[in-house]
Amino acid sequence: MSSESNPFLPDVAKSLADSPAKAVSTAASDESNEIFDADRIEAFALSQGKPKTFRGVFLSTFITIFLAEMGDKTQVTTLLMAAEFHAPWVIFAGAGAALIATSLVGVLLGQWLAQRISPQALDRSAGLTLLGITVWLLWDLLVA
Amino acid sequence: MDWSLLGLSFAAVFLSELGDKSQFAAIALGGSSRFPKAVFLGAASALLLASLIGVLLGEGTAQLLPTRWVKLAAAAGFGVMALRLLWPTSKETEESEETEASG
Repeated sequence: MSSESNPFLPDVAKSLADSPAKAVSTAASDESNEIFDADRIEAFALSQGKPKTFRGVFLSTFITIFLAEMGDKTQVTTLLMAAEFHAPWVIFAGAGAALIATSLVGVLLGQWLAQRISPQALDRSAGLTLLGITVWLLWDLLVA
Repeated sequence: MDWSLLGLSFAAVFLSELGDKSQFAAIALGGSSRFPKAVFLGAASALLLASLIGVLLGEGTAQLLPTRWVKLAAAAGFGVMALRLLWPTSKETEESEETEASG
């Protein structure tokens, strides 16, 4: 086991190879292990391309869309209506149904397009669309 | 139940969200992912949570999170996903072709 040459191996594993008893105290005391692990996971994820599991796809979609929607116009519309009509749950029910509908329409439209163009063209256009959303968000930041 | 208010909030949010960032993201991710159901569930639950926070906190939402940093984080997240799609490893491309062919 060449633990010295592997930069991705956490310190715990290195000391475990040297002396198992010492490794426990290293794990307990060394806070940098957590950060190190996160870097490793990120590097691994990037080397793997698209998320490969259902959970990975769910989480990456959830996190990016949630962050993009915080403080966005739909959320502002919802909160203004809730404040205006004093019926937050009716507003939430209507907004929720609309949001489920637009997501469903989006995914189904994506699936429909996927059946009509080649996987390479699909990945490229999806990548460019996401890049466009990145620019859109940065533009929102600049003009806000 | 106030049906006209329900209809109003549905129409307002539906029109506001139609052709917005999240729907484009749902189209792009839903088409290119192996798990379109996960994309739908992820997108819908993220949107529901964001609007629930809006309804519950009202005007306090803006103070809850520094929205500029949140937007920047979202931009970074979409940027990473874009690069993953635009520069996949050759192995990844082969695999997605197989999936497309069998699915």
